Amino acid sequence: MADQGSYSQHGIARTSRVRTEEQRQRDLDHITRYRDLEDQVRERIKRSDYSPETFRLTSALLKLNPEYYTIWNARRRCLISSSFSKRPSGSLPSKASSTTSPTATTAGSSTESSSAPLAATPPNLASPTAGMSGTTAEETTQYDSSDAESEAADLAIIQSELTFTIPLLLESPKCYWIWSYRLWILEQAISRLPAARARGVWEDELRLASRMLDKDRRNFHAWGYRRHVVAQLESPALNGKSMVEAEFAYTTAMIRKDLSNFSAWHSRARLIPRLLDERGADDEARRKFLDAELNQTREALNVGPEDQSLWYYHQYLILNIVRPSQYPAMAPHFSTTDRIAYLERELDEIRSLLEDYDDVQLVYEALFEYTLFLYHLQNG
Amino acid sequence: MAQKFEQLPEELQLATSAHVKYIQSLDTRKDEYGYWLTEHLRLNGLYWGLTALHLLGHPDALPRNETIDFVLSCQHDSGGFGAAPGHDAHMLSTVSAVQILATVDALDELDTRGKGRLQVGKFIANLQNSETGTFAGDEWGEEDTRFLYGAFNALSLLGLLHLIDVDKAVDHIAACANFDGGYGVSPGAESHAGQIFTCVAALTIAGRQDLINKERLGRWLSERQVAGGGLNGRPEKKEDVCYSWWVLSSLEMIGKTHWIDRDRLAAFILRCQDTENGGISDRPGDMVDVWHTVFGIAGLSLLKYPGLEAVDEVYCMPKAVTARVLGH
Ligand SMILES: [Zn+2]
Repeated sequence: MADQGSYSQHGIARTSRVRTEEQRQRDLDHITRYRDLEDQVRERIKRSDYSPETFRLTSALLKLNPEYYTIWNARRRCLISSSFSKRPSGSLPSKASSTTSPTATTAGSSTESSSAPLAATPPNLASPTAGMSGTTAEETTQYDSSDAESEAADLAIIQSELTFTIPLLLESPKCYWIWSYRLWILEQAISRLPAARARGVWEDELRLASRMLDKDRRNFHAWGYRRHVVAQLESPALNGKSMVEAEFAYTTAMIRKDLSNFSAWHSRARLIPRLLDERGADDEARRKFLDAELNQTREALNVGPEDQSLWYYHQYLILNIVRPSQYPAMAPHFSTTDRIAYLERELDEIRSLLEDYDDVQLVYEALFEYTLFLYHLQNG
Repeated sequence: MAQKFEQLPEELQLATSAHVKYIQSLDTRKDEYGYWLTEHLRLNGLYWGLTALHLLGHPDALPRNETIDFVLSCQHDSGGFGAAPGHDAHMLSTVSAVQILATVDALDELDTRGKGRLQVGKFIANLQNSETGTFAGDEWGEEDTRFLYGAFNALSLLGLLHLIDVDKAVDHIAACANFDGGYGVSPGAESHAGQIFTCVAALTIAGRQDLINKERLGRWLSERQVAGGGLNGRPEKKEDVCYSWWVLSSLEMIGKTHWIDRDRLAAFILRCQDTENGGISDRPGDMVDVWHTVFGIAGLSLLKYPGLEAVDEVYCMPKAVTARVLGH
């Protein structure tokens, strides 16, 4: 992971800050190499040189420091001005707030870096592994302006860029700028490729999101990222249709692996209203669904009554019972008698938890809150 | 409360002079590789360090003129600020720039030597999504409630909130609310202490606390306290000084800091100090950094630790500064 040094770091054990002379020398060597590379890139940015050579230099620099957002931006400008074949209007930043707008610099780079034909694919981009090594540049440019070929070239660039970020993400899974760049590349797929091709790229991305969540089931970025990817896969731009059943099943699988996963429970709660609507569930189906969720949560609470994630989800279920106007998914048309009966049953179950766990605060808090709900239901 | 702090053992006293020296040393580490790898945080880091020094009662520990010069050297023609000279303009560094200039009472320098106050406001306002009301961090379009809060923070300090559609932004925050009373990074995202701080603070600046479910949110926030006294950012996570600040300041904004054990939180923060070399870490025994140092000190200030300047829980700046700038 890139060293955030004296600015912000987590979970690094405190050690002596005194370096040996050898360590100091090694630091100085690193600094020289890093700053030399940085100077080269920044000098090129300054004169709006977004050529393939600049692109290659950004690869090297970002491998040393993936947090360097300005360099990711330069990389985007390189792709826009000298790599991607087409330039759909939607792919350019909409705001004119930048000092160096990519549109303006395109003209500059086309005159200055004459070696890079504007529309041609830089050879080091066309190879899917080039982004990884970032050093080989064979001169094999032969550009045909037919749509199919330029699409294939764009696809190759997109895949190469996605490949480039993978090792960086594995090393720095919480680095915001890598995720952000990746999303921008994926958006290029939508605006530059036919829907079927773009869909394939986004489907691969969903697999990556799953892999990231397998490594760290609570990775906040990865869950948010997954939601975003799914929303895109569901959108008309990718010929999508609802994935709510599959995503709901995914939360079930994640919860089975680890009950104590608030992220998965949260996702589940957010999916349920749409899931039931899309199933065309009638009142009876909704009641059965609620019963099943209550049973499952109760069983889990019997094993882990000190687990906050379970209790938050249980609260969500209870809110469906006692606040139907705000949470209408599971018990929209229960009678007050029904609501009271459901709540009393849950209260009984929770009280029975006390037989085994009489020192768990969360159990008492639930009893307290739900008893108040019951009082309000019983007294209108 | 002051009484109790004095009864704390020696190692739990606030090591003020060590912290001041630590912060002063941050810009003298040019022979460390990490110094160069973190240039993209330079302006943010200056805001963190400067704020910590002000709260510690050492507002002059960094040279004022050099501070102003450095901030202005990061500005682009667009009005936005990059993290350091040569870095692209971004919402996060622009907000830090405004906060720093406000803290050293130099916002006027934007007009006399910078690109103008209004230009800064326009840079920020341009990042609002006119459809959804939320904000992007820069021209490349990534959106996050952090950026929305940053916009509200800086624009209110500049007296330029009228440049944006506040109601639309407020609607967006409302859409990020969850059943547990918390807020996520975007609609549908799980509650997270950092995002809760940004949403609650933005609603507070907009005068729309009426939209907050204070009972439910207060409960979720207070359940962040773990056995060691520190607070975590989400259920089943470890405690951390920075999350402690976001939870505590959010509780302060909704008037519920008494829902946690404040003394034990203060003791946790104090245990995270490096009393010898200065600085505060995420957890006891870890490496210190300026980020956890400012949030630790800000937390202690909110907890009324004796000798510290009062912190504004909405802006994470000295209260005396926000009172002067906002005219309260
Ligand atoms: Zn932290």
